[in-house]
Amino acid sequence: MLNESYNVTNEIELVKASLAGDKKAFGLIVNRYQKMVARTVKGMLGDSVFAEDIGQEVFIKLYYSLSEFRGDAKLSTYIQKIAVNLTLNEIKRRKRFFSMFSSKGNNEMYEFEVADIDTEERREASEIVNKALLAMDPKFRIIITMRMLQGYSTKETAEILDLPLGTVLSRLSRAQEQLRTILEKL
Amino acid sequence: MNKSTSSELKDLIITSLNADADAEDVSSKIEEAGVSFDFKEGFGEKVLDRIFAARAVVTREVDFVRSFNLAFYRIALTGVAAIVVLLVSIFLMEGSLSFNSFIGLSNSYDESIVCLLTGN
Repeated sequence: MLNESYNVTNEIELVKASLAGDKKAFGLIVNRYQKMVARTVKGMLGDSVFAEDIGQEVFIKLYYSLSEFRGDAKLSTYIQKIAVNLTLNEIKRRKRFFSMFSSKGNNEMYEFEVADIDTEERREASEIVNKALLAMDPKFRIIITMRMLQGYSTKETAEILDLPLGTVLSRLSRAQEQLRTILEKL
Repeated sequence: MNKSTSSELKDLIITSLNADADAEDVSSKIEEAGVSFDFKEGFGEKVLDRIFAARAVVTREVDFVRSFNLAFYRIALTGVAAIVVLLVSIFLMEGSLSFNSFIGLSNSYDESIVCLLTGN
């Protein structure tokens, strides 16, 4: 990946350099936030090649909308919003596609690969989380992803998802109930 | 994964959804347990290739359209200049810009036109 020793570390400067066509500066942004985007996209869609594609789309969309970034919010929040929107759109698209062409259940919509994880224990841990997440309703899954995988506070979750704090809290509580039932079966 | 580790992980997942939980701390514990998400190697390069390769094509297309527009304006301006010169020369030679002046008949008499057309 690109060299982190690049002297521009300030987010706004990185954005300005990227807007001026500096490939290296944008590469640093990708490098810095790709894991965060992976957690959102793969947490929501499963660990599949489709998730990789959506991840790429997130950064492509970011690149073409960088001029709209004013620096009022953190760049990470801005990227996270793009990731959430693209992921939810992909889920809607898949839902439409599967309702038209498949009589099978929603589980067909998602897939995950955990084969390249080093130890058996870690592999199983990943499998539990993936299975639990993919069994959830997407509106609860996104809340869980933000809290459990990204470690955002309820306030930050509400800001990223553009939801009132009360809605986040009530969904969180319902998601917890649903998750408990799902985890008991695993 | 043994049963107790598995149930510990499940408890951790449930705890992360408590409204007052320190989500950052829980998420790092979950990551330590082995739940980690990342893209495959070479992800960044693929993104940059997709953006900058597409940009190069767009730049070439924009350059072509820009040159095409410039050529069009030059041709159009030359045409307008030629029309203006033609109008001025007609006016100077014929003394008016009437339809007859345009088709070169302003000084011809009807008889001479008949003669011209019939040959008699």
